[in-house]
Amino acid sequence: MKKNTFYLLVGFIAIVLVALFWYSEEIHTSLLIEFAFIAAVAVLYLARRKVTDLVEDERSAKITEQAAMRTLQVFWVVFCAFSIGAVMQILHVPSFPRQAPPVPPAMILPIRSMGFIQLGLLCLMIFLYVGFRIYYARKYGEWETDEE
Amino acid sequence: MPENTGNGRPMKNRIKVFRAMHDLTQEDLAKAIGVTRQTILAIEKGKYVPSLDLAFKIVRHFNVTIEEVFLYDAGTSTVDID
Repeated sequence: MKKNTFYLLVGFIAIVLVALFWYSEEIHTSLLIEFAFIAAVAVLYLARRKVTDLVEDERSAKITEQAAMRTLQVFWVVFCAFSIGAVMQILHVPSFPRQAPPVPPAMILPIRSMGFIQLGLLCLMIFLYVGFRIYYARKYGEWETDEE
Repeated sequence: MPENTGNGRPMKNRIKVFRAMHDLTQEDLAKAIGVTRQTILAIEKGKYVPSLDLAFKIVRHFNVTIEEVFLYDAGTSTVDID
């Protein structure tokens, strides 16, 4: 498979996923889009292995590896901080000294907005990854000009 | 000035010289050893230090020893002891 064919496939799958998202919203079945998304990613991973004109060598592997590692190093801190805050709200962690009767605190993060918050965190992860990837690609000479 | 290899010591190489001697373009060498042209360019400019595996592939392509192509400049990291 050629590289451009793969990119066309990515676009086609993205359109199908958007359509499936709206359809699963219509029929109120979130499982449909969830399984469709997993299947789409699996298909893309398989298709990527069939691309013949995409050379990946140790330098590109190193760029990917470094960017992924740095993304994880930053992202887990943000994700952990957010998770601790969410758990504190769920458990209604009391203040000290305890006052009786404790009034349940207002939910800052309602359950219904969790999906948006998770999407926000996912976007943060993607931005971090892209940023670090650009940084390491520059560091390892991705856009060096040729003098030949 | 080549970038540090990660341990504070610059690694230099003479790939460009050997390429010229063998009348090879970066693309030719890259194809011969299975990497991208950008990787050869990055190695030549000292932006990327190749693994031992890749370094041996390069020197075997030129049929020379590794010391003839890759120069390890250890002199920059010497410590003065009074």
